[in-house]
Order: sequence, then structure tokens, then C-alpha cells
Amino acid sequence: MLKSKKIVVLGHFGVGKTSLIRRFVTNTFSDNYKVTIGVHITKKVIEISAEDKVSLILWDLEGTDDIVSIRNSYLLGTHGAIFVFDVSRPSTFQQLSSDLAILNEKLPKVPLMIVGNKADLVSEVEVKALFEKYALKVDFLTSAKTGKTVNELFLNLALLLTADA
Amino acid sequence: MLKKLKEQYANENKQFTLITKAGLVLESDQAIFNIPANSSIFEFHPFFESLPTEHMGKEELNFFCIHLTLKDEIYIVDIKVIPKEEGLLLIFYDLTSHYNTYQSITQTRNESVIKTELTVIKNKELVERERFKNRFIQNFSHELRNPLTSIMAILGLLCDTKLTYEQEKMLDFLKESNTNLRLMLEDTLSIGMIDAGKLNIRNSVFDLHKLIELLDFTYKAKAKAKGLNFECSWDDKLPKYLEGDRLRLFQVVTNILDNALKYTKNGGINFSVVLNQKRANLVNIRFEVADTGLGIAKENQNKIFESFNQVQSNEIRKGVGLGLTIAKKLLELMGSSIKMESTLGEGSRFYFDINIPYILFPKSISNTKSKSKDKNSKQLEKKYKILLVEDDAYVQTTLFKVLLKTNRFKINLVYDGSLVFQEVVNNNYDLILMDVNLPNISGNQITKLIRDFPFKNVKNVPIVGITANALQKDIDQYLEAGMQKVLIKPFENEELLQTIFTLLK
Ligand SMILES: Nc1nc2c(ncn2[C@@H]2O[C@H](COP(=O)(O)OP(=O)(O)OP(=O)(O)O)[C@@H](O)[C@H]2O)c(=O)[nH]1
Ligand SMILES: [Mg+2]
Repeated sequence: MLKSKKIVVLGHFGVGKTSLIRRFVTNTFSDNYKVTIGVHITKKVIEISAEDKVSLILWDLEGTDDIVSIRNSYLLGTHGAIFVFDVSRPSTFQQLSSDLAILNEKLPKVPLMIVGNKADLVSEVEVKALFEKYALKVDFLTSAKTGKTVNELFLNLALLLTADA
Repeated sequence: MLKKLKEQYANENKQFTLITKAGLVLESDQAIFNIPANSSIFEFHPFFESLPTEHMGKEELNFFCIHLTLKDEIYIVDIKVIPKEEGLLLIFYDLTSHYNTYQSITQTRNESVIKTELTVIKNKELVERERFKNRFIQNFSHELRNPLTSIMAILGLLCDTKLTYEQEKMLDFLKESNTNLRLMLEDTLSIGMIDAGKLNIRNSVFDLHKLIELLDFTYKAKAKAKGLNFECSWDDKLPKYLEGDRLRLFQVVTNILDNALKYTKNGGINFSVVLNQKRANLVNIRFEVADTGLGIAKENQNKIFESFNQVQSNEIRKGVGLGLTIAKKLLELMGSSIKMESTLGEGSRFYFDINIPYILFPKSISNTKSKSKDKNSKQLEKKYKILLVEDDAYVQTTLFKVLLKTNRFKINLVYDGSLVFQEVVNNNYDLILMDVNLPNISGNQITKLIRDFPFKNVKNVPIVGITANALQKDIDQYLEAGMQKVLIKPFENEELLQTIFTLLK
């Protein structure tokens, strides 16, 4: 049976939300930055097993520097969420814990993936230092540019959501 | 008529579509796009697939700024979803052009915010890297002082042994290289200190005429050795006594003169000092050095004052010391600035104008030097007892040897600060030569202890500090603690002996 799962992708502007989705859905990347306003919705059907498929409806939200200001209607009926920050710009993860607390209130009990994107821009050593300095807990370190762990991110979340159901 | 028109415009950009809860399209007015009746709305766009049907009670829902891409055309719409008996009424508002304006405003804003952040990060990195580099150079130069001191001392000793002519030549060469190394080291440290704002200008009264005569004398000899002419001319209206930093002024002029010597192969060097202006208590003086050297191409003229801080790919900087950089920085500290004019192949002219207060009748420029000299030579017949406090084995042995060679001293040696005090109390020393950085207790503290001692023979013993630390504020501290003199590593043997003899009156 084909199940539909709504996934919202959120985070500060310019962190690579659109790029991650584009990499996952069409396996392409662009260096140009086109700001997303409102929401873009795309769909990708993936196979979980031979007979089990899931239709992921990906909501690519407008980036904000203030999580509180996300419109609640966008979040209605959300099954899973991905919070993306940019490892090369501290302003996108400096208030990570308070951002996550707000998200938790807005999306109670919704599985959430925390993603540090643009991993291609900083060395592993630097990333490690960053994570220690800011006490960051991250589920995936991705690069939409190189494609690093992008598929894994979405597949993992899909598995989590279908196992839940 | 109006009713019809009103209907037309009221409905513009607005589409009504009715669907069942299961997503079947019942009816649609197709005012914006075509959604065929009896089709599944889920086929139309994935937005509808994720409609939160479980939240659909009686309440209406509003979705703003939804992008619907239909046959390559992008519509940006607001969608109202209203529960009805038949199912759901969807009202689409086409706000594409409105949202496109909003998009371009947001685009500009976001891009500039991100750009600013990245620029700040990059600048921080650059500053940090620059600081790291400077600190590294400073530390490294600092570390070189100890071994260099040993090398210089040993070279001095070696020169006094029996040598063949060839060995002597080689030693001369070694000595010269070593002196160059030492000068470079000092230049590097000076630049670091100026940059860090740790170098202070110290003004006192000095004799300008004597300073010029000294420069004339020194550089005539230097120029002669290179087969060059050296002309020195100065205004006889120049006041004799100035109140300024003689040492730094001397350093500036010698750096410029050395540079001129270095790049002049034929012809000569003209050094002139001219009075520009005289006011109540201030004179403005021009110092000028003109050479017939290589000259510097216009495009390179600014670069010759840059230190290793800047990227230099130019040929012209090859082998140029830091002298001009230092001259420039020192002059800035003294409120002046270095200027140059140069023609490639013809020569260069360096000059600066400087304001310095002058004094008509100085209170005391004493002339005690010649007197004390006579006194010294008489008294130096007797042997002096010296305590050497040094923990570095190399410096220890080399200093030891240098002092012994003169045959004027009896020397005792301790290597630990904590042993000094007892040693001083039990022996009548004429002088203590002490490294400032000692294990257990610093030379500084020992000096304070000694100066506080109740017996005169202990309390007043002259103390000469040795340190690799060239920071003026530290040296001031040592002097304050009661040291008579502080020698900075590396120093020449003569300098050491001179210092000791001067203090042993
Ligand atoms: N080097 C690098 N650049 C990336 C990566 N992901 C995205 N970018 C670039 O970052 C910029 C922003 O990417 P987007 O995907 O538009 O960011 P966004 O989070 O969707 O931004 P908003 O829509 O404004 O919230 C673009 O110029 C991308 O090319 C990455 O993994 N590595
Ligand atoms: Mg985007």
C-alpha cells in the first residue's frame, strides 16, 4: 500500500533546505541562491521494501531567522521534520537549543532530524571543534553540493515514519 | 451593466473548486487554472495529498504563499479550505505578482545578511591568522636569543686562541654572519614591539651636534671601506641641545644610511641636516640621505617600507632588511613620516621632517665619562668577586669563560634562585650577574630581597640582570626591583665587560 508522509524542512534562510530537497529528488545542485518564499511542495515516492512504498511530500519552507514566526498552517498534519543549519555560518546554529525547544512545542511528538549542511565547506576537524564549542547534537552532516549523506537522511526519516505507523 | 462588470472583476484571480473529502473534483470554475471535474485532486498537485484531513472539522483553513507549478507555469496562491456538506470548498487566490515582488525584496535582504556574516567571519580569520603569525615570529626570534648568545661568546673566546691565518679568516666570516643574524633578530623583535605598542619613546636632553658628528665619523669610515664617498653637511643654525629620543632618532638615521650604503655601488652618499623652522621652543629639522645607488621603480616605492607582514613577490625586496620598515614605524611614533624620491638607475633620496623641542641652556650634560675611565683603570688592578647566577648550562660556561679570561674576577656559580641568598650573605660579592628567569625564584624577587637586607655590604651589591626578554615594561620592572643594569641576550662580550667595569667603582 502507498502511504503518504508529510515532511517539513525548516531552518534559517540560506542553509540549503531547497538544495537538499533538490539533491534528493532530482539529484542536481546549483550554486545560485534563489530565496524560497512561502512554501514549495514536491513529492518523491521511495521503496522501503519490495512491496512497501512511501510517498514523501516534502514541504520546503521559507527560511526564517526566527522559528516562532513559521506559519502554523504549514505545520498541520506533519509526520516528520528536518531542521537544517549551515555549518559554515554560526548564526544559523547559535540558538539551536532554543530553536529546537520552540519546534518541539509546535510539533509535539513529531520525529525530527537535525542536519548540519554544507559539510563540504569546513574540515572534519573544524566541524568537531564547532560541535564541541556549541554542544551541538546532530543527526546528519550533509552536503547538498557533493550529495554526501543526503539520501541517507531522507531514507532514515522515511523508515522512522513508516515504522511508527 | 455595473453588476456584470463587478462580477467580472470580483472574480478575477479567484477560483472556486469543490471536492469530496476523498479528493474527487466535483466542480471547478477554472478562473485561474483548469482542474477537470471527476479527476482526483491528488493528481493535480502534491499539496492536496498532504492536506491535513484529520484537522478538517467545521473550521476553515488558510494556506498562504503556496507554489503550484502547472505545465511549467508557476502560480503563487493563497488557498482557503472550507468544510461544506458536500466535502471541501477550495478558494484559490492568485497572488503571483504580489509574491514575486516580495520574493525579490527578501532575496536582496537575505543575500546581504549572509554576505555580511561571511565577511565578518573571514575578517576574523584573517586577523587571527595575522596575530598567530606575528606571535609565532616573535616567539621564534625570542627562542633564538639563548643559543645565539652562546655562539657569540664562544666565538669571542675562540678568536683569542692561537689560530692559523685561514682559521682567523673563517672566524671573521662567522662573526660577521653572526652579527648580521643578531641584527636581524633585533629588527624583527623591534617591529613586533612597535606593532604591539610596547615600544615607548623616551625623551631626554641630548647634544645634536655630537650626534651628527658621530654619524659623520661612523659613516665616513663605512663608506670608505666600500670605496664610496660620504658627504655630511649641516646647518650651523641648528640648536645644540634637543629634547627627544636620541636613541630612536639615531636608529632611524642609521637605518636609512645603512640602506643607502647597501644599494650604492658607485658614487656616494650625501647626508644633510637642515633647520626648516625655529619657533619659541620648537625646531623643525630635515634629515636627508641621498645616494647614487640602484634607485627604485615608481611602482615599488611604497613596498620597500613593508615588512614581512605583507606579501612580497618583487625582486627588489630580495635581501632588503627590515631597516626601512623600522625607520618608518619609529618616525610614526615620533610624529613624523619618512618620504622618498627615486629614479631607477640614478639613485634615491630619503628624508623626513621632525619637530623637536630645543633647549638653550641644559642643566646638566655632565662630562664625567673621562674621569671615571681613569678611575676604572687604576682600580681594576684588584680582583673582584662575582656571583654568576644562571641555569642554562651553555650560557653558564660561556659567560664563565669570558669573565675568567680577563683575569680580573673570582667567580662563583649558582644555578638555582633559591641558593643565591645564602651565597650572598656568606660572601662579600662585588657584583652579581644574574639571569632573570630562574627556577624556583625569579631574579626579580631575589633582587628585591637583597635590596631589603639590613646590612650594607649585602644590600648595595651591584646586580646586572641577563634576560632574553626585550620588552621595555619588563626591563623597567627589573630596574625597579633594584638591578643596576639589564643586558638583553644576545650581547657582545665587550658589552658585558664594559657594563661590569662601569659598575665596579
Ligand atoms: N558549498 C555548499 N553550498 C550549498 C550547499 N547547500 C546549499 N548551498 C548553497 O547555499 C545557498 C542557499 O541554498 P538554498 O538551498 O537556496 O538555501 P535555503 O535554505 O533553501 O534558503 P531559503 O530558501 O532562503 O531559506 C545556495 O547558493 C546553494 O548553492 C552545500 O551543501 N554546500
Ligand atoms: Mg529555499
